[in-house]
Amino acid sequence: MKNGPVFFFGLLAAVGISWGGIVLGSHYQLGSLAPYYDDTQGNAFPLRPQGVASRGQLVYADLGCASCHTQQVRRPGFGADQARGWGERQSVARDYIFQAKPQLGVARLGPDLMNYGGRIEKEKGPAAADAIYQFLYAGSAAHPAYKFLFDDKAIDGQRSTKALAASPAGRQIVPSERAQTLVAYLLNSNTTYDYPEARPFTVAAKKEEAKK
Amino acid sequence: MTNVPTHAASAEVTPTDTHARGPLLLLIGSGLLWLVISGVLALITAIQLRTPGFMADCAWLTHGRAQALRESTFIYGWLANAGLAVALWVLGRLGGSPLRGLNWAVIGTLFWNTALAVGLVGIATGDMSGFAFLQLPRYVLPAMAIAYAAIAVPGVLAWIGRRNDTTFAAQWYAVAALFILPWILAAAQLVLLWLPVRGVVQAIAATWYAQAAWTLWLAPLALAGAYFVVPKTAGKLMPNYDFASLGFWTLMFLGAWTGGRHLIGGPVPAWIATMAVMAGSMLIFHYLVVFLNLRIATGSSGEAAKYIRFGLLAYILVGVLELYTSFRSAALGVQFTFLAVALEQLALYGAVSMLFFGAIHFLVPRITSRPWASAGLAAGHRVLVSIGIVVLLVALCAAGSTQAGLLADAKVSFGEITQRIGLPLLGVISAYLLLLAANLLLLVNFLQTALAFSGPSVQPQTLFRQPAALEGSAT
Repeated sequence: MKNGPVFFFGLLAAVGISWGGIVLGSHYQLGSLAPYYDDTQGNAFPLRPQGVASRGQLVYADLGCASCHTQQVRRPGFGADQARGWGERQSVARDYIFQAKPQLGVARLGPDLMNYGGRIEKEKGPAAADAIYQFLYAGSAAHPAYKFLFDDKAIDGQRSTKALAASPAGRQIVPSERAQTLVAYLLNSNTTYDYPEARPFTVAAKKEEAKK
Repeated sequence: MTNVPTHAASAEVTPTDTHARGPLLLLIGSGLLWLVISGVLALITAIQLRTPGFMADCAWLTHGRAQALRESTFIYGWLANAGLAVALWVLGRLGGSPLRGLNWAVIGTLFWNTALAVGLVGIATGDMSGFAFLQLPRYVLPAMAIAYAAIAVPGVLAWIGRRNDTTFAAQWYAVAALFILPWILAAAQLVLLWLPVRGVVQAIAATWYAQAAWTLWLAPLALAGAYFVVPKTAGKLMPNYDFASLGFWTLMFLGAWTGGRHLIGGPVPAWIATMAVMAGSMLIFHYLVVFLNLRIATGSSGEAAKYIRFGLLAYILVGVLELYTSFRSAALGVQFTFLAVALEQLALYGAVSMLFFGAIHFLVPRITSRPWASAGLAAGHRVLVSIGIVVLLVALCAAGSTQAGLLADAKVSFGEITQRIGLPLLGVISAYLLLLAANLLLLVNFLQTALAFSGPSVQPQTLFRQPAALEGSAT
């Protein structure tokens, strides 16, 4: 330890190796991951989200939704993710390649939202967007209301087509632009395509591969 | 001051200490102010967990943002300022001459805290970056890295110009922390915020940064204080000191590799979690060395030593628990629950903050050459903060284990989970109240001590009992 330069370069090496190994290593492995082209469907997956849905992810991030919601389904058998209906398969790196800011999340004070859009559309059909707006506006016992994402104003002339169905008489509650992008993003969250790497690893599958 | 005066303390307060008084008090004072602000925010977030409607209409303090504000004020406000004060003081002491270049530290402190304040307003108004441990918006981060480097200047000068050929463990840890934060902050913001890497690589890089900030920055700052203070309060040489350098390099080379435990089961390559288990297992050697070196803390006396004993116990416990939760079966129950929060609080509050409190308690009388203004407030802070941390950890563990059990059962709804953990969350709220009260006591006591320029300066001999010969006891 008497040698200053050796000490300094030792520290630099310690930090550099861990950064190189973990960050550059995973970047090398996943950084150029391409969409998966499926011949039978004639399309590549994941689908690129529309602009408004992409912007919604930034609203999701700046409100800190990730402090209570994850967006990662763990593999069947590891936790109750599948039993809770959050997704049939585990989330894989390819699911996130078009996301500007993947929100994997750190806590589950609320449900996982990886496939929230698909779930709520199955449940509510075309009324899904209204249902999310209503929930964001009113909140629940376990979820805060986000009233500041809405404008509560008097009906001036014609009622806005976007006003919530549950608006009080004579007034209209209109989602702000931020609320609209956020909801577009949430509706878009659905990972349906079954990538080869997402299939559960079984001994049978391995044998089949060996035969080929 | 509870230390018993003896005749042997003539050299206890040296020009090294009093020369750096202003800059060090500025750092500690800013740190304590941020600690109190963070305490208020912690209280708000804890109440929100139990009553989601609390302050929900205020966009600035919606839960996600309040959480990011609490974390940022705690890490970059309290821990950074206080830790830098401890590191600079230790390096000045062991360098053997008064600190030079202190203007750099003052300017740096002002810039650091201004940038942090701007960043916090940024988080509140919607510029949050969204990465744990690095929530500050990108436009303040370059300024913060430079400001930190400026604050570090006196410490680095003291290290380069040290009088002794031999160096001590406290110095290694302090210098490492001074150099490393600007590096990791620059490397992380580059790949996360300026030239973002693609997809989940962002999550991996953010996890790397969070783990490096804990093991290569905060833990070394805390250990620098502990390695300096413990032999002095114990009045003994450190046992097994030959291993200290191995313990140091083990932490430096392996620390940042252990972050993968947060990503177990996630959409990332499996080798990341496997590396975390491997690194964590080998890192146990570091914790063993810290235990062997600093086990003399059990026989030490004085208020500072009591903080440090608590902090060291928590530190060793963190090492063991981090390894345990790196295993996939254990991670399954801990992930995404309050158990993970408990482990983080054990590290940041139980270990690092308590070690800082101990070091601050030890150094403030030495740089001001007067005892703490009120021994009652000092003891009150220690008792309250110790109880507060224990209550916090117990409550978080109770909430977390209930939550883990219920999450595994797909039939239980989230509304029901919130209801079932209501009681432990009440414990969390009361713990944060206790901690806030405790830290207010410390702030008042500190301000009285630091600002009492009019009071008579006491002869150092009556303040301290440590023989000056122990200055270099690390050998």
